[in-house]
Amino acid sequence: MSGGAVPAVGAVRSVREALARIEAGDARINAFTAVLAERALARAAAVDASGAALPLRGVPFAVKNLFDLQGLATRAGSKIEREAAPASRDAALVRRLEAAGAVCVGALNMDEYAYGFTTENSHDGPTRNPHDPTRISGGSSGGSAAAVAAGFVPLTLGSDTNGSIRVPASLCGVFGLKPTFGRLSRAGSYPFVASLDHLGPFARSVGELAAAYDAMQGPDADDPAQVPRPVEPTAPQLERGTAGLRIGVLGGWFASMALPPARAAVERVARALDATREVLWPEVDRARTAAFLITNAEGAALHLPDLKRRADDFDPLTRDRFLAGALLPAAWVVQAQRVRHWFARQVAAGFADVDVLLAPATPCTAPVIGTEWLEINGQRLPARASMGLLTQPVSCIGLPVCTVPVWGCDPAAPHLPIGVQLIAAPWREDLVLRVARALEAAGAVSAPVAAAARPH
Amino acid sequence: MDLEAYVDAQCALLGLKLTAEQRPGVIRYLQLVAGMAPRVVDFAAERLTPADESGNTFVPVAPPLGGGR
Repeated sequence: MSGGAVPAVGAVRSVREALARIEAGDARINAFTAVLAERALARAAAVDASGAALPLRGVPFAVKNLFDLQGLATRAGSKIEREAAPASRDAALVRRLEAAGAVCVGALNMDEYAYGFTTENSHDGPTRNPHDPTRISGGSSGGSAAAVAAGFVPLTLGSDTNGSIRVPASLCGVFGLKPTFGRLSRAGSYPFVASLDHLGPFARSVGELAAAYDAMQGPDADDPAQVPRPVEPTAPQLERGTAGLRIGVLGGWFASMALPPARAAVERVARALDATREVLWPEVDRARTAAFLITNAEGAALHLPDLKRRADDFDPLTRDRFLAGALLPAAWVVQAQRVRHWFARQVAAGFADVDVLLAPATPCTAPVIGTEWLEINGQRLPARASMGLLTQPVSCIGLPVCTVPVWGCDPAAPHLPIGVQLIAAPWREDLVLRVARALEAAGAVSAPVAAAARPH
Repeated sequence: MDLEAYVDAQCALLGLKLTAEQRPGVIRYLQLVAGMAPRVVDFAAERLTPADESGNTFVPVAPPLGGGR
């Protein structure tokens, strides 16, 4: 595995070390909801016994607790699903990572049913930001980002419906990849909004991110929503640099809905890439609204039986939103899908003369846990929903995005990271990873292990 | 718009029973969403045509190989 996080010390030793780091540090972070020591050590021993050339040999990883893990109930951040039957097999992406030699060591905290951007989970407690435990980790894949930022494991998986990989990657200062919609198999993962759900990896280096992503590619007959694509390896192309790439900076909504630290992060990345051209997408706020409506209605419809039977077993932070979503007029949702497709066509036309676009991933650095309101662009906005203002319009149309971590952009909180989205046309994950690698090599972005998470 | 009446009618139709504790939060959130929805619905009415149908596709499911003659 490139990136150097996992030396060639043997899978059992790598896994034992990861388990020790989790044991020593997770009480302060609360990233894990299950640690699977016995399973992990057995698999690690099998990896060590194998002579096969495995690209992820011995890499310990963990997954958001909406991925099926054989023998565990897939709780998806909820109280309700704890009563579900244990999963009969691992999720497709877990199986692919383990087939490549990686070893799953546990399951990670998240917002209930992935409906949130903060991982302030009322059932399992909040996942704390490893760079400042008084602050949120972001969500909904907060445990996934925090586990990497804390150095517990070098690789995790999460899901992203409206920003749930990119928001926590931004707030925890790690690399996150949301692939193109339909690229990776979702088989064996608990859905949130089938129209918008993506799965993808987090890591502390671009090489690790690309190696994991490559291992997970490929068709899967068990996922009816996956788009048939050949495996298109990205790792061999990482060092090609940015020469010849046309890179622009998204303006308009993406500037006006970002606070100064987020804009400073984009400016720094743009300078490193010598990108000066501003690109404007039309009607971005309508695309964001479309994603908001589709999410609210589809997410609620999925849970309608439980909303009717046992609504008070939902997290107070999701319950009323799900209940309201069940009541939306159908025409709003159908029109939202039409607007979404219109927006995708406009943006696709714009990619005729640009390859990669830059935008902030979150409007600000990590807020303190419990923050209710943010002031953005002269408006007082609900803090939790607003963390997705800048990611939602991009995932709405399924574009691939790598979030890269930038440091020292917030004078009020210089210890906190903030992410920049590198966005490409559909199926061009190779481009966003190439640009991310160039930025990493230039020292403009990095994902150091958080000092606060280390054992005292 | 009388959202209270709308919520009552929709809940009756769906078989959802809101408790006194749930009801204010549901109405507050529905108000928020109702305030946003025109951004999409009005745009669709003014700018989209039947040719802008979303194209959300259903893929017919074939029987397993060897399942037919």
